Amino acid sequence: MNRQRHEHEEELLGPYVLGVLDAEDVRRVEEHVGGCLRCREEVAALREMEAALGEVPAEAFLDGPPVGGDLLLQRTLRRVRGEAAAARRRRWGLAGLAAAASLAAVFWTGARVGGGGEPVAAPPPDPSPAVTAAPSPPPAGTRVASATDPGTGARMTVKVTPAAKWVRVHAAVTGVPPGERCRLVVVSRDGKRSTAGSWVVGGQAQAGGQGGAAGGEAKGAALDGSAWVDPADVREVLVENESGRTFVSVPVPAAV
Amino acid sequence: MAGPLWPRTRRGATDEALIRSVYEEHGHALLAYATRLTGDRATAEDVVQETLIRAWRHAEVLVNGKGSVRGWLLTVARNIITDRYRAKAARPQEVSGAAAAPPVEVDHADSVVDTMTVLGALDQLSPEHRDVLKELYYRQLSVAEAADSLGIPAGTVKSRSHYALKALREVFRQNGGAGKGRRHRSGRPPQQPAGLREVVA
Repeated sequence: MNRQRHEHEEELLGPYVLGVLDAEDVRRVEEHVGGCLRCREEVAALREMEAALGEVPAEAFLDGPPVGGDLLLQRTLRRVRGEAAAARRRRWGLAGLAAAASLAAVFWTGARVGGGGEPVAAPPPDPSPAVTAAPSPPPAGTRVASATDPGTGARMTVKVTPAAKWVRVHAAVTGVPPGERCRLVVVSRDGKRSTAGSWVVGGQAQAGGQGGAAGGEAKGAALDGSAWVDPADVREVLVENESGRTFVSVPVPAAV
Repeated sequence: MAGPLWPRTRRGATDEALIRSVYEEHGHALLAYATRLTGDRATAEDVVQETLIRAWRHAEVLVNGKGSVRGWLLTVARNIITDRYRAKAARPQEVSGAAAAPPVEVDHADSVVDTMTVLGALDQLSPEHRDVLKELYYRQLSVAEAADSLGIPAGTVKSRSHYALKALREVFRQNGGAGKGRRHRSGRPPQQPAGLREVVA
């Protein structure tokens, strides 16, 4: 075999296994490989490399931050702050929740089960000055926090808006099993618990709206509530069921 | 390439800087990948947030090369999605209702390592070799389009892609030794930086 020709054909083996050669080149390669044991082995080895490339998703080559991901970053940063703060509190031994029953549910402004096409996990409006897209600045002292309970898988993003000696609470809750009768509870710094509202977690009947959600967990809910807790005293917001099992608890950072 | 070395103590500004740097460097890849697998941007954002949190908790993996770190992150994201699907499938009342196919292959134990391994290996190629594979394989450009994009003749695209694949094989060969003890296809010995695998699994 002509050595130069062999080398030329050999250089086509890579693009051949990558499937990018035109018909004429493919014919040439196959003709050559048919009579060249070394090239047949080379093709087999290169095919393994081609298969290896297949283990990597094409998205792996996208660089930089995601488009429109500011809220995602802010939520993540808040959660990190919240977890760091929670870790500090645990160290101080203040984690125990007072068992006092909630005293009142006030101004339940309508729990709506997030249905339709609305993404249930959408975070509440962002108070951070870093997010310029917010149409109007939220009231001073508004806090947003988010947490996922590793045990139950439930997740909540909550926004606490201060009023005069009480707070409005907006929460997006996902990952609680369908049918659970849940309370949204505001815990103050002295351990007092105030129910800000209650709802029943939607079942699968409505789950169709959550298009393609691979999480596939129970219906999420977007909730508005309120509680007579002094804004400065809010320590955490949690979701529990009627028997007192806590699904997720979100530490609320101190107002800045 | 490699991320900076982060102190193990996680406090305040360091935490945020770490999250930010991972987000700035890998966020686009992660969100695009998660969005494709879940088919839902909101769910994907949740997955990415969870992935970033895990990276923060396992900051020690971030000292590895960029490709390996990205492979780790993509793998973590995929595992989160797979596990959520499993959690759903485990609830009987939902199995009957939603006959959704798993968004990703269910057995991720082996391919997990491979994503990191291959990305780590690609990282060790010359930029020319990496780029030609990126254009032809991942962007699925034709030879002519890749020639245009890379600014080299079509013939060079072809031969370069050949040598790129050979170089990749050489990287596997050097890094992996004989690849003993793992169920790997021949010629694809495992190679992943220390500490990555345990965390993913």
